[in-house]
Amino acid sequence: MKKGLIVQVIDIQFANLPGILEDILRDVMTEDTIQGCDYDPFNISSQIAVLKDTKILICKIRGAIENGKAKTETSWLPSRTTSRIVPYSIEKLASTRNGKRPVTLGRTRSDNLTVDVKMLDGKLNIITGKKGVGKSHLSKLLILSLIQNGAPCLVIDINGEYVNIGRARNDEPTPYADKITVLKPGQSLKFGLSEVGLKTFLNTMIYALDLPRTSSKVFSRIWNELERSGNLKLNSLNDAIRRFSCHESVREAIYSRFNTLMDLELFTDDISERFDFGLFEKKMNAGHAFIINMKDEHALSRRLVVELFISKLTEQLSEMRLKAVFLFAEEAHFYLRETYWEDIITRMRHLGVFTTFVTNQPDTVQESVYRQADNIFMFNFTNEHDLDAVSKVAKIDAESLRSIVKDLPPHNCLIVGDIVRDFPIVVNVKPLDVQTMGQTRHFFQD
Amino acid sequence: MTHRTQDIGFEHSKISRLLSEESGNILLPDFLLNLSSESMRTLSGGFFEPREVTTVEAELEDAVEEEPRLNLANTTIIGEPEPIVNVVGNCPVVAVDVSSVRVGESEQGLLYALRGALVWREGLSYNFTRCGPLAFHLNDLIARSLNRRSRANDNLSYSAWSPLSERLLSRLRNTLERWMQRLACSRLSRGIVLLDGSLTAGTPDNPTVYLEDILNRSRENGNAVIAFSKETKLCFSGKKITRLLDKANYPCMLNIDRIITPQFPSAPVRLMGRVYVAKLTSRGLPFRVDIDRQLSEESAAKAVGRLINSDIVEQGYPETLRLAHILSTFTANEILAIQRHLSIDYGLKLAPRLSFRRSLFGPYGTSREAS
Repeated sequence: MKKGLIVQVIDIQFANLPGILEDILRDVMTEDTIQGCDYDPFNISSQIAVLKDTKILICKIRGAIENGKAKTETSWLPSRTTSRIVPYSIEKLASTRNGKRPVTLGRTRSDNLTVDVKMLDGKLNIITGKKGVGKSHLSKLLILSLIQNGAPCLVIDINGEYVNIGRARNDEPTPYADKITVLKPGQSLKFGLSEVGLKTFLNTMIYALDLPRTSSKVFSRIWNELERSGNLKLNSLNDAIRRFSCHESVREAIYSRFNTLMDLELFTDDISERFDFGLFEKKMNAGHAFIINMKDEHALSRRLVVELFISKLTEQLSEMRLKAVFLFAEEAHFYLRETYWEDIITRMRHLGVFTTFVTNQPDTVQESVYRQADNIFMFNFTNEHDLDAVSKVAKIDAESLRSIVKDLPPHNCLIVGDIVRDFPIVVNVKPLDVQTMGQTRHFFQD
Repeated sequence: MTHRTQDIGFEHSKISRLLSEESGNILLPDFLLNLSSESMRTLSGGFFEPREVTTVEAELEDAVEEEPRLNLANTTIIGEPEPIVNVVGNCPVVAVDVSSVRVGESEQGLLYALRGALVWREGLSYNFTRCGPLAFHLNDLIARSLNRRSRANDNLSYSAWSPLSERLLSRLRNTLERWMQRLACSRLSRGIVLLDGSLTAGTPDNPTVYLEDILNRSRENGNAVIAFSKETKLCFSGKKITRLLDKANYPCMLNIDRIITPQFPSAPVRLMGRVYVAKLTSRGLPFRVDIDRQLSEESAAKAVGRLINSDIVEQGYPETLRLAHILSTFTANEILAIQRHLSIDYGLKLAPRLSFRRSLFGPYGTSREAS
């Protein structure tokens, strides 16, 4: 085909033919009360049945084919009298399988959809959909594809769903098992005060624990004095707060919050227990996924860990010790403070933090994220409020999005963005041979 | 009494057998089937202007007017309506209705479709047999065929835009309707046969001979033929005769035959039924009702009494006849289906209609409308 207009079917409806309602009413009125048979010598009734089931395809123009090549912009309309309508392979339009890092995401209506993982590089992504439709499944598929291609991933796992992605369903380790490390705050993830640094520690005290500004200045002085004397340890900090000459109310404010943080057991003075950020760098640069299992963690602990990691990542990326990080943030509103959203989609993106937000509460993701997202993976939503939230994405018109997303069956998602060359595609996400831990626990087992 | 019940049971099964097992062969006369095929073959892939149907079109049935308007002088003395007495015991009820509809126009003539429905009540359930749709291309071939068959010696010659197309349609419709009515009256015994319209005949397109035959067969089988007119043109003191029962709030019937009969000379139009205005339920609508004239007045009253006991009568209209009407009439969707059938089976091409309005006044539109 040399020239053509590409239209996508976004909805299928019964055609509203004249008299169809009358027909249906007549059938309903008579079907229970009367039985009989038709003698239709010319079989005209079959045409009536065909007409009753006539469907209308609602389409949107998505682009054009010129000289055999598909493109998303178009400035012409074909003839409406002489044009022919032919099906066109979605694979031909959206597939980036000729890239160096192909990954098959699943099946479209006609074929497998293979894309280039590179299309996630440097991008802001959203995976959203209502509960139980397969968001985490797709997220795992992307993570595994990334580490398979040597990319570094950091997963903030709010429900402990990713802890076993290194194991197959038969409990055997997968080929990528040694490229996956699961961290549990307070156990395999503890920090030393010097690694955390004053800025991060103080931010946590201010933003997570509402430490007043005056008190924060006092705390900074205490911290700096201990650091200068080379005695920045937990016990020393505890003693220093208690002995520091200041107003009793300020001391009480700092001390209560410090104790709250200590209760989380995230800090240690023991070097052997501390998380090794040097090793972290090394593994990440070789292609590795670190999964921070936040299941059952206190809200403060979540915020602290995330603050700490983002702060550390920023530092490592700024100093070019890390090339980039693919950050997978599940239900980020639980741990991401408001000021970070803007930071993630602007400054940190330039540093090399490429975030994928995964959420079933689309209204918790800031509107600016939807507007700037490069790739959106949308699973089923039926609630109008949720559809309102996701329809803010800039890559597809709201009508198409609502029409398609409302009818998506489980494990099917609408993909929009660079990864599918801006042609909206519905994909049935392929199954994975990894253990799923995101399933709901049930009381009744039968 | 036991014997009577068994008898009714037999009648029910007999009519069921008639209307379900043998329907294909006997419901439609071969003559009409062949005429439909032959007339449609004359189309041979020409242009076709389909009738436009819209969702707001309320009445798709093309009514065929048969009776002249008749005003009765208000000097005529009208009696009091007689109450309808409920007659205990069920009897079988059969209703017949036929509808026609215009589906479009070819270059040579008009295209119509016919469909007939026969509904009967058996026990507490309703059953139907429906025949059609039959498509007809009204042209000279049909006119000649109908002339050959007509027992009334009336030579019709057809031209596409002639008002005679109405008469051709009327003949075709009457042919099917009378055929189905004859069938119902022949196969049913000791029941009630309900017809749509009046028992008036004697026009060239509605000869008396067929109706006479139907009524004779009906009487031979102990049936009563009752015809209900949804619309009547009989007026009294400038008002429709159905208004005569405005004040009656009980099931009743008023014999108006003696004031109508003198208005019709013996030929050609004949009232073969005795004419009443009847209200079958206290809050129902009044209808003109014609009952076989050869039945005594007492038998006619009994027949109506049996009818209200044997059928559901909603709004003063028998359910069996209502269903026959619903099943025979065409919906807009069915007209579209017939048009599709014509274009597929006869290779007709849809012709855009020339719009004078657009041609003359439309600044941007073309002179042809999409159909």
